[in-house]
Amino acid sequence: MRKTLFAIFSLVFVLAIALTGFGLNMKPKVIDARDRDIVTDAATTTAENRTIQTKLKRWGYYNGAIDGIYGSQTRAAVRYFQQKNGLAVDGIVGPNTAAALGMTLSSSTSSQSSSDLYLLAKCVYAEARGEPYTGQVAVAAVILNRVENASFPNTISGVIYQKGAFTAVTDGQINLTPDSTAYKAAQDALNGWDPTYGCIYYYNPATATSSWIWSRQVVVTIGNHVFCL
Amino acid sequence: MSDILDVKSTSKNIREKENKNSILKLNSAEKNKKQEYLGLEGATENKNSKKIQNDKDKSIKKKNKVITALSIATAVLGLSTIGLGIGFAITDSMAMEYKTDLENVYQSNFYSLLDNVNNLETKMTKILNSSSSSYQRKTLLEASKNASEAEIAVASLPFSQSDIDETVKMVNQISGYTSTLADNLANGGSLTQEDIATLEDIEQSVMSLKTQLNQFANKIKDDYSIIDASMDIDTNSNAFSRSLASLKDNDVEYPSMIYDGPFSDSVVNSKVKGLSGDKVTKSEAKQNVEKFFKTATTIENNGETKGRFETYNFTVKNADDEMLYVQVTKIGGHILTISGAGQSGAENIDIEKAKNIALDFATQNGIEDAAVVWSDSIGSDVYLNIAPQSQNIVLYPDLVKVKVNMTSGTIVGYDATSYFTNHVDRTLSKGSLSLSQAEEKVPTRFSVISSRYALSPLDYNREVVCVEVQAHDEGNTYYFYYNVENGIMENVLKVIETDNGNLLM
Repeated sequence: MRKTLFAIFSLVFVLAIALTGFGLNMKPKVIDARDRDIVTDAATTTAENRTIQTKLKRWGYYNGAIDGIYGSQTRAAVRYFQQKNGLAVDGIVGPNTAAALGMTLSSSTSSQSSSDLYLLAKCVYAEARGEPYTGQVAVAAVILNRVENASFPNTISGVIYQKGAFTAVTDGQINLTPDSTAYKAAQDALNGWDPTYGCIYYYNPATATSSWIWSRQVVVTIGNHVFCL
Repeated sequence: MSDILDVKSTSKNIREKENKNSILKLNSAEKNKKQEYLGLEGATENKNSKKIQNDKDKSIKKKNKVITALSIATAVLGLSTIGLGIGFAITDSMAMEYKTDLENVYQSNFYSLLDNVNNLETKMTKILNSSSSSYQRKTLLEASKNASEAEIAVASLPFSQSDIDETVKMVNQISGYTSTLADNLANGGSLTQEDIATLEDIEQSVMSLKTQLNQFANKIKDDYSIIDASMDIDTNSNAFSRSLASLKDNDVEYPSMIYDGPFSDSVVNSKVKGLSGDKVTKSEAKQNVEKFFKTATTIENNGETKGRFETYNFTVKNADDEMLYVQVTKIGGHILTISGAGQSGAENIDIEKAKNIALDFATQNGIEDAAVVWSDSIGSDVYLNIAPQSQNIVLYPDLVKVKVNMTSGTIVGYDATSYFTNHVDRTLSKGSLSLSQAEEKVPTRFSVISSRYALSPLDYNREVVCVEVQAHDEGNTYYFYYNVENGIMENVLKVIETDNGNLLM
């Protein structure tokens, strides 16, 4: 009798916990898109450092030599400048400080291409992380070929996020953090490597469900993927 | 008398008494026994009643416990059901919120598509009915913008790609074609009869597309959900696509647009011009690979490529146990591409050494008079662009790309597709523009670094001999290209410094 009671109790308890847990967990999982910028520190070039030093010296923030070296003296001068001008004091010339200094950083315009690389690497990692290196380059090349192709959107993001274009985007794997191999493969493709010679489709013959894809002209098989025009 | 009597009586009495007594005794004994018996009985009765009492108590207690347990269970279950219900309700309302948000995005994209197609149709009519070239140019540019915005909208809708590729292609080509015509007009040209005919075809196609979309727009008014329709999927397409599937049928004729501009079919289908030699067999191709990878531990066949280039593919494991993928052309047995990840680690060679390794490799592969024109080091890899030269003119269209790993000091990437696509014997002229004349054309705020002659691939399939002037202003480096025939500036490239290398834009 006691055992039965205990059993009932524990069953109810487990059920209750499970149900509550389930209820709490019902919130749809939103995978956070890591909008991490790969440009971390706004590194300035020697020429830019010289400009920074010249300007800071002219305005009396800096007493050192105009040598283009971003040393402790320059950093201190930048901090002083930031403090006086109500900027975030970090001793680094980022876009805001640069704007206050009246200059544009060459690196601030580079974020565009860097984010393309990041996006491409993300898609490569999500779609082809188990594939041989060339297979990863090929997937990146297909994305870039689509950008060039009239039948597809004209930007990397447009191609990657086109509805249903990549299964890894549909199921959220696109938000995994890419590894260095995926970055290298994406970089190679951006530099013009294309082992598929203009392919705009690929599929895994073991898992492909669309009968339509089988009708395309096959160019090459790399790893588990068949690349076609 | 009385005494005797008394005695008698006494004796009698005594006897009687005795008897009585005995009887009494007996009786009492019996009674006692009985009493004892009764007492016994009472004891058992007592015990029994106690037991019953105990049992009753226990069962009541148990009942109480069960009742308590059940009521707690019911309460807990009830509470968790309520919690679950609330959870579901919240989730459901959140899901509804998300769904509404997405539906709104889709609807907005759809109306943007509709607007742009409607405007495009109007502009096509205006172009065809105008004779002023400046008005035509302005309207062509507007049409190009409408077409490109229509493309963005159509690509953001949940159509099945295979159902809309023709539509996307049409709007992309219209955008490219109209902007190319506008450029021609800006350069003093005029619309030819052929152009007019193509524009008329385009107008017809846009008209049918517009009709389709407007019919569909009426459907959307009646509580239509693009999301629901797009979730209704069969193997190849979804209901949303199917409802607009007539776009793919003959209702909309897709005009062919041949032009030298973006998205032209002629660019996509560019022919391989630079491959020479006889067809080689797979084993001959393999021998070529062995020649270049003398230290390779294994070389294995890995299928073939049947595209613009026909190649035999090999997997090479080099001395560092690194896997390389090598493609060798069937015509001539040339090494066309090599790809490999490259190691990450301490750099054992510098960029100068890497340049020599790359140039040696290119020369061995028949790239004559090659020079490194661009290098870019990313991690422990250095990407080198090598261009062949002819009469001191750098041939940019024939660029070969080499990736050298500075840790292992070996080639881990090679791409000669541009070279074999474009390399032909050309007769080139340096025209009348000298290097110093070109340098003077650079705006004064730039300081010139260097200049040289170069064959530049411009626009689409156009190659022009230019003077390339490298110059910089405060912090930025630029390349200016001046046509050697007429001194016109053909192109400007800006060097964009990234955290991991330089990019030419």
